Amino acid sequence: MNEKKEKRRKSKRFLWRGLTTTTASLLAFSLTASVVIDSFRTDIDKFLGTRSTQTVTDTTEDAGDLYSFQTDYENTTQLLDAIEDLGERMNEEGTVLLKNNGALPLSDDETKKVTLLGFSSYYPVQGGDFGSSLAENKGTDADTVDLVEAFTAKGYEFNPTVKSMYESLKEEFKSESVLPWGVTTYYRTTAPSVTGTFTSLEPTQELLDQTEPSWEDTMDDYQVMIVTIARAAGENANYMPGEEGVNPDQDLGQTDPLGLSDTELDTIEAAIRAKEKNNGKVIVLLNNASAMEIDELKNNDGVDAILEIGLPGGYGFYGVADVLSGAANPSGHLADTYAVVGANSPAAQNYGNYEWTNPDPSYFINSVLVEAEGIYTGYKYYETRYADTVLGTGNAADGIGSTDGVSWSYNQEVSYPFGYGLSYTTFSQTLDEINVDLKTKTITAEVTVTNTGDVAGKDVVQLYVSLPYTEYDKEHLVEKSAIQLLDYEKTKELAPGESTTITVTADAQNMASWDSTRDNAAGTKGNYILDDGRYYFTIGNGSHEAVNNVLAAQGKTMEDGMTGEGIVENVQTWDLDSFDDTTFSHTENGTAVENQLEDADLNYYMPDTVTYLSRNDWKGTWPKTYKDLTANDEMLAVLRNDLVEIKEQGDPSSIAFGSDHDLTLASLKGVEDIEDERWSLLIDQITLEEAMIRVAFGGTSTKPIESIVSPEAVQNDGPNGINSYPLGQYANKDTESDDPCAVDENDKNLDYKFGTMSNETVIAQTFSKEMAAEYGKVIGNYSLWSNLPIFWGAGTNLHRVPYNARNHEYYSEDPVLTAYQATAYIAAGKEYGCIIAPKHFAFNDTEINRSGLAAFMNEQKARENELRGTQATIEQAQALGVMTTFNRIGLTAGNAHTGLLVNILRQEWGFKGLQSQDFIQDANYSVLKEAVTNGVTMTCNTGDNNMEAVSAKWDYWTVENVSKDANMLQALKNAMLWQNYALANSNAMDGINETTRIVSVNTWYDNTLTAVQVVFAVLTIGAAAMYIKGAVKRKED
Amino acid sequence: MEFIKKQSAGFYLTALTVILAIVGLIFYMINCNTAYFSNLGVNAAVVACIVIAVILELVFIIGSETLGAKIYLDILPIVSAVMLMVAFVIFISVRVNNIATILSFERNAQTLADLSSAIIGMGFCFGAAVFSIIASFFKIIKD
Repeated sequence: MNEKKEKRRKSKRFLWRGLTTTTASLLAFSLTASVVIDSFRTDIDKFLGTRSTQTVTDTTEDAGDLYSFQTDYENTTQLLDAIEDLGERMNEEGTVLLKNNGALPLSDDETKKVTLLGFSSYYPVQGGDFGSSLAENKGTDADTVDLVEAFTAKGYEFNPTVKSMYESLKEEFKSESVLPWGVTTYYRTTAPSVTGTFTSLEPTQELLDQTEPSWEDTMDDYQVMIVTIARAAGENANYMPGEEGVNPDQDLGQTDPLGLSDTELDTIEAAIRAKEKNNGKVIVLLNNASAMEIDELKNNDGVDAILEIGLPGGYGFYGVADVLSGAANPSGHLADTYAVVGANSPAAQNYGNYEWTNPDPSYFINSVLVEAEGIYTGYKYYETRYADTVLGTGNAADGIGSTDGVSWSYNQEVSYPFGYGLSYTTFSQTLDEINVDLKTKTITAEVTVTNTGDVAGKDVVQLYVSLPYTEYDKEHLVEKSAIQLLDYEKTKELAPGESTTITVTADAQNMASWDSTRDNAAGTKGNYILDDGRYYFTIGNGSHEAVNNVLAAQGKTMEDGMTGEGIVENVQTWDLDSFDDTTFSHTENGTAVENQLEDADLNYYMPDTVTYLSRNDWKGTWPKTYKDLTANDEMLAVLRNDLVEIKEQGDPSSIAFGSDHDLTLASLKGVEDIEDERWSLLIDQITLEEAMIRVAFGGTSTKPIESIVSPEAVQNDGPNGINSYPLGQYANKDTESDDPCAVDENDKNLDYKFGTMSNETVIAQTFSKEMAAEYGKVIGNYSLWSNLPIFWGAGTNLHRVPYNARNHEYYSEDPVLTAYQATAYIAAGKEYGCIIAPKHFAFNDTEINRSGLAAFMNEQKARENELRGTQATIEQAQALGVMTTFNRIGLTAGNAHTGLLVNILRQEWGFKGLQSQDFIQDANYSVLKEAVTNGVTMTCNTGDNNMEAVSAKWDYWTVENVSKDANMLQALKNAMLWQNYALANSNAMDGINETTRIVSVNTWYDNTLTAVQVVFAVLTIGAAAMYIKGAVKRKED
Repeated sequence: MEFIKKQSAGFYLTALTVILAIVGLIFYMINCNTAYFSNLGVNAAVVACIVIAVILELVFIIGSETLGAKIYLDILPIVSAVMLMVAFVIFISVRVNNIATILSFERNAQTLADLSSAIIGMGFCFGAAVFSIIASFFKIIKD
């Protein structure tokens, strides 16, 4: 009996010991977790929709200025209706009709007899795989739709047999995309990863026959065959040029991932066969953001029409349906050149994964991209080379870079040019007048547009210039595109026979060329120039028509090799008598320009390594592929990002922190004059610790600054809509407040996610600044309703090549189209207090090794291409935010390049706003001291709100170190000024007045964790007590 | 053979805990020396917690073998489990940002290889913590 009792006691002993261990471990876990939670509080709050700080405002004392920005809508239903309506119209105006033999528009009867072919008709690409992904919304006032749903809503009827056939094969169309949170399965095509290849999912004819033997016959009753061909897009994704980019396990005759596979061509051929039997129509929809190789379709007479529809987002297919039926007349124009073979372009010669021979992952030293094509990307290459073949200059007709390897000819290389697009009507355009005024730095064109066809429609006036290419240019290696876009305007809808006169007022700087060798007003080298000589201004339906007009004006004809006769009457010339290096020697704010990006040229570090492409000798300067490069010691020193030394310098005591001036940020709400002395006083109130923490941890939201009551401003990613959080996550649900955008807790739209707009390429294809501005308007309104004031939403990187799978987040290959679409959009959003920020500044030209990639180029390319695509957003739209890039500028990290971030962005262009680096990075790449020195106001890291957390990440970032360095202290003050200036002029200040105070609050998870800790503490004590009690009893026995 | 016969489940579970903890520590050190994670340095708290846990578990085993199931030895597995749990949480927490970066933007052979040692190390560390809890319910030697 005693033995049994003893055994039971021993069992109890181990039970209580085990339970004590368990509860003590869980107590330790929960206690440690609370420390971790503080480190990740910002991210956790975003994930759970909680707030750890709140603003408390006394509205009785100062209620008048609480809500400065006004919404256009009365409720969320109106807001979502506006988004849905704009999404539809964006694709009506942004869809490009590339080919039409009269098959379009469809009659009402024909819309009831549609056979949808190609799996992408049923499983289309509507947004990126990652980055600008489609947010699917159901149960809201603006539910998203795919192609079938949209077309059905518009009254289309589909071949049910073929539809069922494709739907039964759904599992065949499964593809996977590697996302940060794991592998996600999509039932549609996806873009290859940066190390992957493209796999065509288009089913074979055999599979279709096996699935539904009668499918081809059923098309006799549904004779309008619409075939959708798709290429997906995605952040962190890439199409490798040529066969290298195609899945080697597939044998589908595909020579390029952006070319057509045999199964895609077979599907189109099946449609053509059916058409021959049933006298129907074959229409191809291109569902892509990267320009595809579609010359087979262009030249195939069996294909009646081709439409470029982009990635239409959640509502764009309504617009596509309207375009097909003629309810909307297409007015879109291509934002990119559609080359016959994309891999033949000079830029593609250096597009890939070119690793250093001495990489160092600990400093993100991985690979290089030498952009040896210079300014010749997109149409600037194709049209310039074409012009030179006609002019017989520069060895342009040489076979290098040609499709046949023998000789270069335009028709062999380009399927559809930049700016091209058809309509269901016809227009005539006449260039009536050109006035170049260098005093006002404007070029004013008067263009008469007449609808000469039978149906109403909109037209686009594209104003181009051809600059003189002189002996001076050849001597000083200044390149000139034979044609370049200066500006554009879209007409209103013109009735048949109606005329209108469009005035285009272009910025003359868009025709200035950067000359790195020229003396300047700063006493150094590098200046914008205008060569003396004749300037040709013209208009046209795309860059090719424009260059043909110029060539015709220069006396060239088809006998000289022109692809068509140009319209001489649409060319006006302007002669500049003397070389001009003064008109654009200063920027709009009076800053003298000079070379700032010399170190972005590989020749700076490795002289005579790179030969840049020149139209003076296409053959002799054709880019070679720069690979297997070795960084020498000097280069490694730069690559290691340790450029700024925090040291004892200057007079730190002259820089005030923690002063008391009794101001809050609300005191400067809406104060646009950054020179107002109150700004200086306000920023003096911020403590050094606050400043040091705020610049270090600015990820996902700006952190509150209690000393000046600067609120937390939540950031969102884009550009296809404010997509990071649902509408209701941060919306004001206090309907008793004065907030005009307060929502009811039961509002059916609170779960709506605004990742639904057509992609940026479609927005560019509208060639409509008004449409871009409308997008800015709905974004601004949405920002007010959702309380999400900062939006990384304007992708202003250029499409250097079509192979960057992230092109869907950027507008175009052309900087002017990019700049003005972005400018209209940002300016419109700003009217509602939304900070729409251009990104990624600059040269985020590939997703391959984008963190650390060293992008090399010469300054002419940088300034005339990519930077020109962003400049107007700062100078004209006065953007209040900018996001830096992942990559390096030359060897220097994108957040540490003084020439780009300080001298160009802030000094030349006058940027005054907040600036974040892109996403979290390792501390060796996310160089904090360098970033702050160069005007970055916050990194994208998050962490606990104390100096220990910051110093743990960047060991040099201590109060002791920084407080000795007057330069760094001033940089911190600057960062705080710019950051808070932007917020004060945004809707982040809505609901805030001078009585507002910031208070910390316990979130539900804080309370839960505290409860868990208490419970486990009690259980641990209880279990231990029971253990001790048993032990005592055993001893007594 | 006699020794083996004498051992109870607690012995094997505690020994397994020690092995898992040591392997976890090895992978932690490997991970700290990978190119990608080397910038984080070696966190003394992680190392100290694991080492202390291992020592305590070993003392617990040896003590139990030599002195029998003494009551004062019972504190050892409790402290050991707490140490392992703390080490595990710190191990993970300082790597979350880096893991997110790799999965989002830096997915290549090098970073994935570096990441694998972190994942393995975390797995072993967590396993050690779980087994130490389970072991604490069992005696080391048979009566």
